[in-house]
Amino acid sequence: GIPGRGGGGGRIAKGRYWCGGRGGGREEAGARGWEVVEVAGSNDLESSVKILLYLVTLVIFFSFVFIELLGDILKDQPLEADGIDSVIVVDNVPEVGPDRVEKLRNVIQKIFSKFGKITNEFYPEADGKTKGYIFLEYNSPACALDAVKNADGYKLDKQHTFHVNLFTDFDKYVTISEEWEKPEKQPFKDFGNLRYWLEDPDCRDQCSIIYESGDRTAILWNDVKEPVTIEERARWTETYVRWSPRGTYLATFHQRGIALWGGEKFKQIQRFSHQGVQLIDFSPCERYMVSFSPLLDTKDDPQAIIIWDILTGQKKRGFHCENSAHWPIFKWSHDGKFFARMTQDMLSIYEAPVSICYYWDFSWSPGDNVIAFWVPEDKDIPARVTLMQFPTRQEMRVRNLFNVVDCKLHWQKNGDYLCVKVDRTLKGTPGLVTNFEIFRMREKQVPVDVVEMKEGIIAFAWEPNGSKFAVLHGETPRISVSFYHVKNNGKIELIKMYDKQQANSIFWSPQGQFVVLAGLRSMNGALAFYDTSDCTLMNVAEHYTASDVEWDPTGRYIVTSVSWWSHKMDNAYWMWTFQGRLLQKNAKDRFCQLLWRPRPSTLLSQDQLKQIKKDYKKYSKIFEQKDRLSQSKASKELVDKRRKMLEEFHKYRERTMETYAEQKPLRLELRGGVDTDELDSNVDDWEEETIEFFVTEEIIPLGDQE
Amino acid sequence: MVILVLLYTVQHLGMSSRRERLYTNVMLFVFRQMYLFNMLHPFFSLLCQKPILLQGHERSITQIKYNREGDLLFSCAKDTIVNGWYSLNGERLGTYNGHTGAVWCVDVDWDTKQVLSGSADNSCRLWDCETGKQLALFETSSAVRTCGFDFSGNIVMFTTDKQMGYHCYISFFDIRDPAQISDNEPYMKVPCSESKITSAVWGPLGEYVIAGHENGELIQYSAKSGEVLVKAKEHTKQINDIQTSLDLTMFITASKDNTAKLFDSATLEHLKSFKTERPVNSAAISPILEHVVLGGGQEAMDVTTTSTRIGKFEARFFHLSFEEEFGRVKGHFGPINSVAFHPDGKSYSSGGEDGYVRIHNFDPPYFEFEFEF
Repeated sequence: GIPGRGGGGGRIAKGRYWCGGRGGGREEAGARGWEVVEVAGSNDLESSVKILLYLVTLVIFFSFVFIELLGDILKDQPLEADGIDSVIVVDNVPEVGPDRVEKLRNVIQKIFSKFGKITNEFYPEADGKTKGYIFLEYNSPACALDAVKNADGYKLDKQHTFHVNLFTDFDKYVTISEEWEKPEKQPFKDFGNLRYWLEDPDCRDQCSIIYESGDRTAILWNDVKEPVTIEERARWTETYVRWSPRGTYLATFHQRGIALWGGEKFKQIQRFSHQGVQLIDFSPCERYMVSFSPLLDTKDDPQAIIIWDILTGQKKRGFHCENSAHWPIFKWSHDGKFFARMTQDMLSIYEAPVSICYYWDFSWSPGDNVIAFWVPEDKDIPARVTLMQFPTRQEMRVRNLFNVVDCKLHWQKNGDYLCVKVDRTLKGTPGLVTNFEIFRMREKQVPVDVVEMKEGIIAFAWEPNGSKFAVLHGETPRISVSFYHVKNNGKIELIKMYDKQQANSIFWSPQGQFVVLAGLRSMNGALAFYDTSDCTLMNVAEHYTASDVEWDPTGRYIVTSVSWWSHKMDNAYWMWTFQGRLLQKNAKDRFCQLLWRPRPSTLLSQDQLKQIKKDYKKYSKIFEQKDRLSQSKASKELVDKRRKMLEEFHKYRERTMETYAEQKPLRLELRGGVDTDELDSNVDDWEEETIEFFVTEEIIPLGDQE
Repeated sequence: MVILVLLYTVQHLGMSSRRERLYTNVMLFVFRQMYLFNMLHPFFSLLCQKPILLQGHERSITQIKYNREGDLLFSCAKDTIVNGWYSLNGERLGTYNGHTGAVWCVDVDWDTKQVLSGSADNSCRLWDCETGKQLALFETSSAVRTCGFDFSGNIVMFTTDKQMGYHCYISFFDIRDPAQISDNEPYMKVPCSESKITSAVWGPLGEYVIAGHENGELIQYSAKSGEVLVKAKEHTKQINDIQTSLDLTMFITASKDNTAKLFDSATLEHLKSFKTERPVNSAAISPILEHVVLGGGQEAMDVTTTSTRIGKFEARFFHLSFEEEFGRVKGHFGPINSVAFHPDGKSYSSGGEDGYVRIHNFDPPYFEFEFEF
């Protein structure tokens, strides 16, 4: 037989978690490495780059000369592959005698002329019978490709299913060595402990900051007193940086691709060559990375979106990109086993391809392999919200909705609840009505409860590890916040509502319970800190013109910042406790962005966590003592620093005062013998003047005409 | 006060950390917040006495200066007038009329006999302080940016802008020599072609002039030979103002690069830095305490919103040796262009883009306030 092309790109991706469609992306072994000029490139490197550039110019120059001389002749030279590209081989054709050959030809013509004009055909014969395979030549390779794509697997009858292949494929597969070559073992590169930061004895967190309008990037320890710089580099990234979801890698963006850094010294771990890359996304398991670039996309060789294997640095597959407005285009399931992509009218879930027509939006559950999507209304068919389980593709729950204008899907962080915000038009009333449809995922049949909202919704957010949610609603300037609780029996209870809020965003602490409402940008950076256990307002503060709010991964601190990207003045980040007490104001020149380094999820079991919570008192004593120590140490340090500065300055002053005293005769001489060193050193010369004070409350304009 | 200082220190350092998740003592928190507020802005509560508002200019103030005794305060503005005031009650002594363009600078000699002013009308004028009579007119080919009497009061110096094809010069006149005045011919004219001078003061004993340039450079020019004695570059942007300490041994620069810096006059050695978030237009050293005051704010052309909060038009007080800010005074509704300490250190004045001069008297808590060290 002929080695088949069956399975499309499956040969490549076998054993991975996706299968491409037919004629899928071309695979390249290993990323084409680009020369990364190390940070603050040394002279050696610079000169070698120069030489390289010079060589490249030379080569280009000579090739131009060559082509110019030979161009005319070369144009007419037939290529070796001419024609062969257009030939296909059809296997599993019925073996017939001379009497029925004509009939067979007609059938074949009928089937295969659909894909283009057949210019040549050949039916090999032996012992008066056809051999069971034929050769067809089209007038263009594109037709041949089309035929392979569509006629392969064509069922002529019960016994005969066509296998269609390109003639050129023979060469390709013949040259493949029969012997399996053992892949060479790659040397193991030790980058040290990539999670060293989790072992910090003081349990501090790290964050990255970009400042000086993007020229400098630094990694800091967040210390209570002041940030401690771990690493600071000039031009580390060309645009911005991103942490991987578990905090192992720091990704930097360059014109030529992405670089990943990690370990204690932030050495380069991996790099991915992707010209003009703009956006990236990690799979939640940190195994794969998706990058997007608007450049370079060609029809045959999809390059717009590339999926990379982070550990090997290999390019897994390229995709075309029709619309980059929705990033991430690929959404990963929580364990990285599936990923889904939205195209014009199709939702593709790789590994288990599925097509749902005319769907609008979708979202993976952060806790399970469940996908939620909604389909808008179509004539008499109501809009639907569907929950589908994978890989079984079983529909867990379908909910029909009417008069729907828009739906937004909000998952709770553990995947325990799904809230679908439904905007509807009501008959007879202008404007929109919003409902929240709350799906309880952990219960049988996934019951749905509805919360009706009477006002416009500004923001909605689930408590990350709980069953509460916060809603900002109303119209400026009359904005209110409501806290709801989803009870076990499905009852949704309004815990508390506060009106007169100056907020447009909700930021829950990653640990739940605490929430910060922020009025970003146009709302001048008003901040309100709430404790939702008893719904008390802990503090109200302001970071004028703040543009960003970031909780640290443990929920102990929160950072508000004014980014140079959104506002050109007062660029700084402020550190607050979760209660809203201001700890630090860090003004950095043209500060752009602060990102906390994420932490992987805890390895402790629920019971262990419970035990720790029970022993809070025991721990708090230890920590309090530690804090007191470091505080007294810090205040002592500050006092010492001040004392030292004062001493130094006083020493300097003593020195200058000596010279000053020596120069006294010179001063007296210059001012005709009058001593002016002290204000009252020539009191005798003073003249007495009487001046008046205005004592009335009346305002007397002093600037009147005289 | 001491308790407050202590609490402030604690606040400033910040309490930590993990245990805060455990306790939510709102009351304590509110109290802390109150202390914090008080301590960050002690002046809001310390300056009870109302400032004296001097309304004698129609345009923004460019410079204010006390005489040696501090009983008089001189102000000049972008209108054409120079004003003299009694600093104690804000009564106007009189005006010096004659300029036909914005007046950029003013100075008074040590015995308050003569006043010098330089203007964009391409002239520098010498006035009789008491009568307001114009004593001399020095005509130039471009605007006069800075001017000053030397220690003896006999030599005057002024600098001219690089403008309309003319270079930037420092001119030196001996005003005891009538010929120099009548011929309008200085005894020395030092060209500085590189970057124009934006501020200048006399060093001690009239030996040299310290000039701040548009590119942030500081240069000492000898008053005898005109040669460059010392150079220093600590600022990255234009130096808006230079003011000496009372004994002339140190001076403070105010720069567009958002900092003010303290230097030694003789060596131009950089001693201290005071950092803010806005361009600093003027800075002054307290004659009695280790304090400095900085005035500035967002330039009017850069202010994008109407909110005065964003401009930060406050006078800011720093400790001289610790370089730490300890107080602010609000009041102006535009950038502060010039600040000056009264020679007795018990009051200070500020002149702003808003056209007002404000004389502020310090209250007792200001003098009692001390950093913990």
